[in-house]
Amino acid sequence: MPPAVASPSPWRRRRRLVFQSVFQTDVSQPTPQVTPCARFPDQGQPFGGHGRSVTAGSDHGLAHAPTTTDLSSSSQSTIAATSRSDLYAPQPLFPSLVAAGNDQVAYDRAWHVVTARIALPSSATADDSFGTLPPDSQLYPASQQVVGSDQEFYDALALVVHASNLLPRATHTEDIIAWHAQQVRAHFAQHVIPLLSGCVEEEGDEEGGEAEVEAARGVGRSGTKRKSNYYERHIVIVMSSIRTLEAALRLYFYGLSLLVRGFGRLVNGSASEPAAAEAELLAARFRRDIRALVGNSASEDLMRSVRVVLVRLSSTILGMQTTDDGAAESAPPIRPSPPTDEDVKALAARQRLHELVEQLYNVGLAGERFQVLFAEIMDSMMSKFVNGAYAGVWTLSSTSSRSFSAAANTISQRANLSQQSTSPCILGLSDWIENHFARLSFEVLSRVSSDPSTSPVTLSDVKTYQSLALGRLAALRIAELFDIALAWPRSRCALDDLRSTITSTARRLQLTSNFSRTLQTRLLHPGCSTLEILRTYIAIIRTFHALDPSKVLLSHIEPSLQLYLCQREDAVRVVVTGLLASVDEIRDARKAKEFAERQHQSKTPKGDAESGPLLTPTISRRGNYRTPGPTRRSQASTPDPVVKDLPDTAVAAFGGRATANKLVELAFLLNDPTQTRRAASEDDELDWNDMSWVPDPVDAGANYKRPKSEDVIGTLISALGSEETFIKEFSSVVAGRLLGESARFDQELRVLDLLKRRFGEAALQNCDVMIRDVQDSRRVDAAIKRQREKAMGGNRATETPLRTPTVKKGTEAEEFEAQHQARILSRLFWPDLEREHFLLPTPIVEYQQWYEHGYETLKSKRKLTWLNQLGQARVELELEDRTVVVDCSTIEATVIYAFQDPDATRGNDGPARRSVDELYNQLQLDEDLISEALTFWVGKGVLRRVAPGTFVVVETLASSAAAESTSGDAEAAAVASPSEGDGEAETSGGASPRKQDSGSGLSAKEKERRAMYWQYVKGMLTNASASMPLAQVSMMMKMLVPDGFPWSGEELQEFLGEKVTAGDLEVVGGKYRLVRK
Amino acid sequence: MEDSQNAAPGSVSANKLGGARKAADPGQNAAKRLQTELMMLMTSPAPGVSAFPSADGNLLSWRATIEGPDDTPYAGLTFKLSFEFPSNYPYAPPTVIYRTPIYHPNVDFSGRICLDILKDKWTAAYNIQTVLLSLQSLLGEPNNSSPLNGEAAELWEKDPALFKSKVMDRHKDLEDD
Repeated sequence: MPPAVASPSPWRRRRRLVFQSVFQTDVSQPTPQVTPCARFPDQGQPFGGHGRSVTAGSDHGLAHAPTTTDLSSSSQSTIAATSRSDLYAPQPLFPSLVAAGNDQVAYDRAWHVVTARIALPSSATADDSFGTLPPDSQLYPASQQVVGSDQEFYDALALVVHASNLLPRATHTEDIIAWHAQQVRAHFAQHVIPLLSGCVEEEGDEEGGEAEVEAARGVGRSGTKRKSNYYERHIVIVMSSIRTLEAALRLYFYGLSLLVRGFGRLVNGSASEPAAAEAELLAARFRRDIRALVGNSASEDLMRSVRVVLVRLSSTILGMQTTDDGAAESAPPIRPSPPTDEDVKALAARQRLHELVEQLYNVGLAGERFQVLFAEIMDSMMSKFVNGAYAGVWTLSSTSSRSFSAAANTISQRANLSQQSTSPCILGLSDWIENHFARLSFEVLSRVSSDPSTSPVTLSDVKTYQSLALGRLAALRIAELFDIALAWPRSRCALDDLRSTITSTARRLQLTSNFSRTLQTRLLHPGCSTLEILRTYIAIIRTFHALDPSKVLLSHIEPSLQLYLCQREDAVRVVVTGLLASVDEIRDARKAKEFAERQHQSKTPKGDAESGPLLTPTISRRGNYRTPGPTRRSQASTPDPVVKDLPDTAVAAFGGRATANKLVELAFLLNDPTQTRRAASEDDELDWNDMSWVPDPVDAGANYKRPKSEDVIGTLISALGSEETFIKEFSSVVAGRLLGESARFDQELRVLDLLKRRFGEAALQNCDVMIRDVQDSRRVDAAIKRQREKAMGGNRATETPLRTPTVKKGTEAEEFEAQHQARILSRLFWPDLEREHFLLPTPIVEYQQWYEHGYETLKSKRKLTWLNQLGQARVELELEDRTVVVDCSTIEATVIYAFQDPDATRGNDGPARRSVDELYNQLQLDEDLISEALTFWVGKGVLRRVAPGTFVVVETLASSAAAESTSGDAEAAAVASPSEGDGEAETSGGASPRKQDSGSGLSAKEKERRAMYWQYVKGMLTNASASMPLAQVSMMMKMLVPDGFPWSGEELQEFLGEKVTAGDLEVVGGKYRLVRK
Repeated sequence: MEDSQNAAPGSVSANKLGGARKAADPGQNAAKRLQTELMMLMTSPAPGVSAFPSADGNLLSWRATIEGPDDTPYAGLTFKLSFEFPSNYPYAPPTVIYRTPIYHPNVDFSGRICLDILKDKWTAAYNIQTVLLSLQSLLGEPNNSSPLNGEAAELWEKDPALFKSKVMDRHKDLEDD
């Protein structure tokens, strides 16, 4: 007999005392009460009488006086007698007073026998007793010497169990099962839990001297595989915990099995079926209780270890890269992909997991907490897999196509699930979920489920998993959407994913809100040029169209973009110039695109090996490449629009140039037939034959109209605010181009047509008139020239190139001959063109007067006003050692012409020399413009600055070189070698006239405008409110100034700041107010 | 046959739409006209008068300022007015009220003005600027034959000094909102 009975632990005794003192009631007791007599009066039970109970108590006490050995023998006989008499005579027992006492004694003895037999060891060396237990715990083959005590035990058990029948007088009866359960609990808490935590601590401690840890470390010590150690350590923790628990449970079930066997005998004796069932039920309940006990008392540390082990095993099974897999694989992060069936590592892990889960289940660690843990792990596995396998995978790469083909045969058989999605990502993911994820879930859950009849993972569960995984994929793609849009059209595949996953309104909302946020942080800030924003916008339009043809999503994200673009003043101009990009530029852009694509392909490691010739030399030349006009034009006339045979270097150069400064994509789209195809029938909402009709999306707005095509241009134009501003900008850009040198206006006409379709004929009447003006002036020109030929006879003005007043000048040539061409503009229809006053060279003035005259005779009562600064001239300069031919503006031509005035510096016997002041007096031209023109000529190597404000003609290059060596200042260096600096200078010069025109035109206009704005501000602060914050001023201005208020808040602030410094305004409390005079 | 039947309701509704648009137009027109007037006021301001839409951004409600002409009892004083424009402006006159308390024969104590061009003599040819200029001249030449403030009309004739002191008493610069 174990010593537990003889010496009950002090803890238990203490507890009992405490319990009694609190509740004043009898608790279950393993041994009979020694001195209960004092208790009975106190309890005041209605049962029995007080007086009698005293004698019973004395009897009771007497009965317990003998030693343990006496007791066992005597009790045996007593019980045997009583039970026998009970069994054979189950009548109401003698109602005598003594009988009650006897019953109680008999019960207590029986109780003692039973509990002594199943009592648990309580020694501190309990772990040893686990080891020595097996001989006892071999349940059925009980050893010979215990047979006798077995019999005794079963008899006692019968008494204890059927106490109410057999010993009706015994007042203190107990449920033996409950007692056992309680004992087990106490034992578990007292001995097993410290052991378990010991396992965790010892193994968790890095320095722990445990042999198993040593063994585990022996493998990994040599290398740097600390991670491996980590896993090993945790699995050791788990395994030793499991072993400890197994031993403990063996001990507990031993007692239980004895009880159950006892019940079994009783049942055999009475042959009652319900009793057997009851016994089974009791045993099951006990088992359940024990499991719950173990499961709930498992420490956090243990669960953490279990988690580590589970994560490791399941990620291997699911094909995830574990960081501690091995030295060879750890170098590059490998995308997770489902493991193949013959993957040894996965198979081994699967085997290991199965064993582990079964063990865990057996020891009761697979309870609710384990299931929660497993669910969490699987959840994170799904996220990890989706993010790992599909982040950034937008194209059909070789790996995904492999999984696609692998998936195809399984998926295709289950057509009901795949929602006509052909995206390889989705197919791969569904396959993974079905064949790996759900399989693992099934395997684990079926091992831990208590009810084997129902499958833990049903088909609907698999579908739920799949929809969850698709949700994760959608979240991933939503997060990536901005990059997807940027990578359009290479990212089409990713869009397919997204399209088939954003099926709910919530996800659509998530998409739009997320994307809007990304827009704010990544695009709509001052760091992005308007061109970039617009280019991205186009990509976004196309992406979202592909994503959602109904355009509802686009309409949700657009407002912030549009609002921001409205603040960008140059947005309209960028769009208009983009629309008007020439054929050459379009082709360049297209080539650049192809080039970029090819470059991208060659960059991606998985791309096919056919990448073009090496492209390194392109980079150095990118940027200052300039298309030579005539040769490009000849190429333009070739019928094939795509010139394939250009070397890649040129392509790259085009790309760098064309994409850098113009929104050529628009022109590109303009020529795209799919873009221009507009729904011919706008009003046939109810086309009964339209089989592809789908209802409007639920999140569509009230006056939603289904768009028929992508219509990038339309979207863009409508995004840029009112059509008035757009048309205004368009006409001013077109005006600039019409006044340029181009001979034909095909592109302009096409864009005009497009805009007409959008805005209506009337709105664009001005542009029509402008184009007609230019065409008409060609005719008028010819007519006037004919008149002049008739009048002057000898002068032969031949067909001229298309220049406005084209002037040819020779510094040396005596004979003057110039060819002119004028463009007559109808003042009312053109945008405001400022008139810049200056004196043209006399020959030109004479010609102008004569032309005016001719015009007035041709068209009676009409008067010409010359806009001298808008012209262009080709100037031929004959210098001493060279001839320079330059296309320039009329201002520049006039300035250089002033240097050749014969009577000014001839006598000087040196190169012509002029100062800015002289030129100002002579030309009456704005000084700024004079300086600009001079700088232009200095850049051309024709003039040289000798002193501040004084310039001389560089007659010979040698002299310029000499001057450079002597003076050596910056200007000379700029002049230095025309051949080298030519390209650069020419481009800058070519760009200057128009800029300069608009600049000078603006300055006067701007002044006027500012004066008017000041009136507004004054009026506002006088009348509307005496003081106003900046935002309100800005808002009022935007609302009230006709044609819109173009200034941003900053500009307005600057303007008001000027007024504050001028003393007109003051700022009080962040509000502006007028200074009272 | 069917077509015409189907077409008929459509055309009717189109007419209705057109009618509705026409009905909605005047407000739009008023706003447009007022914007133009504002532009005119700003580009060619008249001395001593100014006007501007109110700070709440309602184009049909304006605030205006008149400075008292030099050779009148109102010299050196500034008067604030409010203009409320009907939606069919300029086909109906605006409602003009002095917000600054003023002692004047043709203005009552709540600031209402008796001026023929703001009543029956209004035509669409008038505008804010002309109204303001008329009001400004009314300060120097009140119409004493139809006074709203009889005492003022009497004093104007009989006791200019007392009139002047009454004007100064009554006048109080508005604390601006």
